[in-house]
Amino acid sequence: MRRQNERLHNEKRTHSKKLMPSLAEALQAHDCTSVIRRMLVNQKTIRSIPLAILTLVAVLCAARPGRAQDAKNPYPTSMAPLEEYLMDRDAEIAMARSAAPPSIAKDATILVLGRHGFETAVQGTNGFVCNVDRWMDQFENSPEFWNPKRHGPVCYNPQAAKTLIPILMIRTKLALAGKSKAEMKEGLKAAIEKGEVPALEPGAMAFMFSKQGFLNSKCGNCSPHLMFYVSVKDAKTWGANVPQSQIYVAPHFNGNPEPVTEFIVEVTEWSDGTPYPTPASTDQHH
Amino acid sequence: MASDQNPYLSERLSMNQKTIQTIALATVMLVAVLCAARPRRAQDAKNPYPSMAPLDQYLMDRNDEIALARSAAPPSIAKDATVLVFGKDGYETAVKGTNAFVCNVDRSWMDRFDNSPEFWNPKRRGPVCYNPQAAKTIVPLVMIRTRLALAGKSKAEMKEGLKAAIERGELPAIEPSGMSFMLSKQGCLYDHVGPCFPHLMFYVPPKDAETWGANLPNSPVLGGSPRDPEPISIFIVPVGQWSDGTDAPSK
Repeated sequence: MRRQNERLHNEKRTHSKKLMPSLAEALQAHDCTSVIRRMLVNQKTIRSIPLAILTLVAVLCAARPGRAQDAKNPYPTSMAPLEEYLMDRDAEIAMARSAAPPSIAKDATILVLGRHGFETAVQGTNGFVCNVDRWMDQFENSPEFWNPKRHGPVCYNPQAAKTLIPILMIRTKLALAGKSKAEMKEGLKAAIEKGEVPALEPGAMAFMFSKQGFLNSKCGNCSPHLMFYVSVKDAKTWGANVPQSQIYVAPHFNGNPEPVTEFIVEVTEWSDGTPYPTPASTDQHH
Repeated sequence: MASDQNPYLSERLSMNQKTIQTIALATVMLVAVLCAARPRRAQDAKNPYPSMAPLDQYLMDRNDEIALARSAAPPSIAKDATVLVFGKDGYETAVKGTNAFVCNVDRSWMDRFDNSPEFWNPKRRGPVCYNPQAAKTIVPLVMIRTRLALAGKSKAEMKEGLKAAIERGELPAIEPSGMSFMLSKQGCLYDHVGPCFPHLMFYVPPKDAETWGANLPNSPVLGGSPRDPEPISIFIVPVGQWSDGTDAPSK
């Protein structure tokens, strides 16, 4: 049964990759013209689409002007009230732990965000450190930088924690001090120059496998992935961001200003062992 | 008509008896031979590749080997990589690349020395493409192991020879960020699993082997155990697609 499910799953994934991307992307971007053009091009398909869907599209398109206005500036352009970024402490501990398989997260140190920054909620024993990221996005081209809904559960291995936790602390300190994105970037750059960010150690990596996270409005919890940290000089030595590579360079860090390049490798299971992509997420992400 | 009254029939019967006796004897001998051989066959089943096979069995057509080596990584990477092929005297450069990646087809003797019943399996083909950092250490390792195998060394002798080479400084220390691609659908890593699954490999010093959460329940990170005598731990992370972009089984 499992094999059959996997086969069906893979078929759906392949099918979805071939047929769905432009439609899914158009819908995500609320580009109603593209949606309708695509539907009209394929007359056979359009006959099979229930009238209700066309009605729904028409309704969505009618609502477009207002949403287009929102799409220009849908998120806060500066920090929202602090309360909006805070979570229930136990819920945050659980969410942080969901970043890695329980066999790792159960023994990890857990940091939670309080009014004065991240603090240790659970002292771990295995050298891993888990937390729920806020303001860790890139500084430019990041409309959701201040989106208080963003919660990025992550568990760093011991090597990564030595460099990435200080970066987290500095960014958070600057955000809580009311700095703008540009000021945060300058403040972080100054902190790096003062030696407040330890040099990256070899073998630094992290887990981001949480099904409960919310990384951005486009993909929600996105996909389970591993992250690998290397010095910026090695950014071009992994064959990342080339066709069919399956390794991607994260848009943040990468010398701007953090002296770290983050590679992302998608994996096929969430931390709870359920498979990715699920039928629902297939349509959402591909 | 009674046989004793017919010389021809009597002779035929006599011949038949001899034939029957011969068949019976042959059968008994065959069974005896088979029984005598049985323990040895059981031994062979446990260790079907006890030593190096004739060299020709490990060789490939040169162009096929170049193509197989390149299939380890996505074409966008492999097309500009240096490609090594295995010849009668060891690995040699067949294609000089431009992106500092190095691709080759591993033979069976790149396996670990202990608990490796297919160490001499001539059917094994492991296409792999190393990034520049990994190539600095792993390609010399391929060369040393291959030199020892071609010199007719046993596994134990290879292990000792490799240890001595490392002590002489012939193996550069592993650099940070060493990794490689093993995404070929055409490889054969073991008899029973063929090309296994597409995966990335990461190389770290053994001291870091406990820090990747490998081999734990629901962790996709595998491997990392020490590879005596090499001062390297190798982590494996399965990925979802082969180098040609087709989807792999989720497990």
